[in-house]
Amino acid sequence: MQRREFFKKLGAVAAVTAVMPSMSFAEEAKPKGPNEFSYQKALDVITGGKPAKTSSKVQLKVPEIAENGAVVPVTVEVDSPMTESDYVKTIHIFATKNSNSRCVSVHLTPANGKAMFATRIKLGGTQDVATIVEMSDGTFLTAAQSVKVTIGGCG
Amino acid sequence: MGKRKSLIKIKPKKYKDGEVVKVSFMVMHPMETGMRKDKETKKLVPAEYVNSVKFTYKGKVITTMNVWESLSTNPVFTTYMKIDGAGELKVTYTESTGEVSEKSIKIKPKG
Repeated sequence: MQRREFFKKLGAVAAVTAVMPSMSFAEEAKPKGPNEFSYQKALDVITGGKPAKTSSKVQLKVPEIAENGAVVPVTVEVDSPMTESDYVKTIHIFATKNSNSRCVSVHLTPANGKAMFATRIKLGGTQDVATIVEMSDGTFLTAAQSVKVTIGGCG
Repeated sequence: MGKRKSLIKIKPKKYKDGEVVKVSFMVMHPMETGMRKDKETKKLVPAEYVNSVKFTYKGKVITTMNVWESLSTNPVFTTYMKIDGAGELKVTYTESTGEVSEKSIKIKPKG
């Protein structure tokens, strides 16, 4: 009997943990002020569980060692013809260990002519900078590189 | 607060119709994360950052960006655009405080 009880409880716990994450996603999907948003959550919200492939088409340029974490230049370039039928829809840039990992999501159109985006981001410490690129056919490409930060830029 | 200084740059400066040029938009903005403490008052500085940026060329939206506080102070947004005749390039940006501002330049292709 004890064994049976134990399995029942185990089942209940598993059911609760399975439901919980989906509930929290619904809340987190709306961007609110300064908020925590982990890279894993962002990844799930954006791709919706679809696989993101590492591709040589996506070029992520970040310095390997950043002396000042407050200003880290990031460039994302995607090899794409940028025509009506085949173009880069969105470029997302993430700082994987910042409390809000999302930096910027850029929605491009064929009128851009070339799929490239550059900006400067803040990094709280040594971490990976990642990018997810959504193509017009619904596939996701990704690239990541670690950046060593000597002085953190947050807080 | 008043209006912030902003700037739109196009590279190269002289361009032709149909050419793909680099467009940079810069805005002088503190980009407060809401996590930094003021050294004197020891209180958290409230968050204040650029929320979204929109590039409109000849009345057509070409690029929109959702921005969060992880971008550096005085952020720069660089991308490319295809020149398609003379017209106005307008950049609209929204701040987390709800303030909406815009900056525009005239596009004049030569030759």
